[in-house]
Amino acid sequence: MATTILILAEHDGSALKDISFELLGMADRVAEGANVKALLLGNGVDGLASELAARGASEVLYVEGSALAEYTSDGYRKAIEAVLSEESPHLFLIGNTPNGWDVAPLVSARLGVPLATGCSAVTLENGSALFHRKAFNGKFVHEVAVADARPLFATIEKGASAVFEGETSGTVRKIESPVQESDLRSRFVETKKGASSGLDLTQANVIVSGGRGVGDPEKFDVIRELAEALSGQVGASRAVTDAGWLPHEHQIGSSGVTVSPKLYVACGISGAIQHVVGMKGSGYIVAINKDADAPIFGIADVGVVGDLFEIVPALTKALKA
Amino acid sequence: MKSLVLVKYVPDSNSVFRISSDGNWVDESSLSFNVNEFDRYALEELLALKDAGIVEEVIALTVGPAAASSALRTCLATGADRAIHVKDEALTGADPLSLARVIHAAIKDEELSLILAGLQADDDNYTQVGGLVAGLLDWPCASAAMSLSADGDTLRVERELENNELQVVDLTLPAVVTVQTGINKPRYASLKGIMAAKKKPVATIGLSDIGLDAAEVGGDAAKLRTVRLSQPPKGKGAEILSGSADEIAAALVNRIRENTGVI
Repeated sequence: MATTILILAEHDGSALKDISFELLGMADRVAEGANVKALLLGNGVDGLASELAARGASEVLYVEGSALAEYTSDGYRKAIEAVLSEESPHLFLIGNTPNGWDVAPLVSARLGVPLATGCSAVTLENGSALFHRKAFNGKFVHEVAVADARPLFATIEKGASAVFEGETSGTVRKIESPVQESDLRSRFVETKKGASSGLDLTQANVIVSGGRGVGDPEKFDVIRELAEALSGQVGASRAVTDAGWLPHEHQIGSSGVTVSPKLYVACGISGAIQHVVGMKGSGYIVAINKDADAPIFGIADVGVVGDLFEIVPALTKALKA
Repeated sequence: MKSLVLVKYVPDSNSVFRISSDGNWVDESSLSFNVNEFDRYALEELLALKDAGIVEEVIALTVGPAAASSALRTCLATGADRAIHVKDEALTGADPLSLARVIHAAIKDEELSLILAGLQADDDNYTQVGGLVAGLLDWPCASAAMSLSADGDTLRVERELENNELQVVDLTLPAVVTVQTGINKPRYASLKGIMAAKKKPVATIGLSDIGLDAAEVGGDAAKLRTVRLSQPPKGKGAEILSGSADEIAAALVNRIRENTGVI
């Protein structure tokens, strides 16, 4: 019997998010001849259902209802639970995204099946699964195994899998939503922008980022001066924006912006997975960190193990020379 | 209303970690532990709600070995009113869903209105126990909160999305919320707080006290098991430059010029 894999599509009401196609790509590769299905929750998004059917899903389960027009954890949880009780796939994949980590644990608890979070690879064998993930903020690869569960259930890191490239002619099955607006105990109010000065790091050719290793806000000037010498922008890891050294809009990573400049200079940034997912697509990565074991050196093109307060000003000076 | 914060006692994230001899986890013997950073923000959020007169009681709960009582002492010294320590040797190696079942059993008679937890733990990075507890309670939940405000039985939460966006959502209490770092400025324990904490109650309970069986929720019953912890593959790995600061700077300028076209 073919392995059935269900993925949860994510969208904003008008377009599917990339993670949807990455999950379809992963599902296609994880088991030969697998029956790959996509679960789409929404209202009036028939076009998105057709797109999933054409880009990797053999069947799209489209749960349609006005209470699903916007993402809510309560609405999604109820709809997913209802579909899984009918479908019983072998493997169920959700993106490790803000909405993914919001709803996945609720589903896990309701179904009583364990959840492997933040995974980058999945291996199936005889009804059990081995998942690769990261622990200790990216310092280690953490392999976890799940046996005796249906579905085997994981959230998948953004960018962990290439998108599905072929064409499919899948079918769309519409399912009436089991969720009523009056049932919702988590209700959508609005989506809004955080405070911003209009900075758009996604368009920058050069980004010089500082992390916890910069030590204190006054010392951030060395980062700014290097960014200026390279006609680039200043980025930061979460630790820096949490501490209020820079506004949140400078944050790069899973909870900030995803960037792909031609040049990325990471200063005093260890390379926690939450940061790396936001910058690993950069053209050329320079890392400066005093810890030779920092994971940032695993993805950088060129690295310096040393004191950023010696190296960065020297680089600024050399660029101006 | 009565509130509870879930806290975890984790190795300091700035530690130098070594993989343990069984290859399963890090060697914890030489590490210093503290309250998980995310959980400090969750505690602060409840203390602020208490300062505002919205929350009457703040309870801190942890599941962990004897040493984890130190995390509870920190919470009490910072302002929590009392603490619950679930401690049972059978829980070593328990998976997140089992831990959530333990937490659920430990709090079911508390008549709570609000449970906060950190979004994730700095050690296993699982990002799920708060949501699991919500699922077991069948309470609404919101994750990665960057702002909370209560109005009657409605809690307004701003959830952090990507690209500097927030989703504003209203939850009907009782509810569970997981908290993102940066939501507030966590306070530190004062000397007075540390003294006062010595008189605050800590209930230490085991599985039998909450009617659970190690065969169901213990480490031996874990359905999600750690197989191995390993160094990440070096991949291509960076070319590491050495020399004086000026020599390195000159080499970097060359690399940037050859490889990027930005200078």
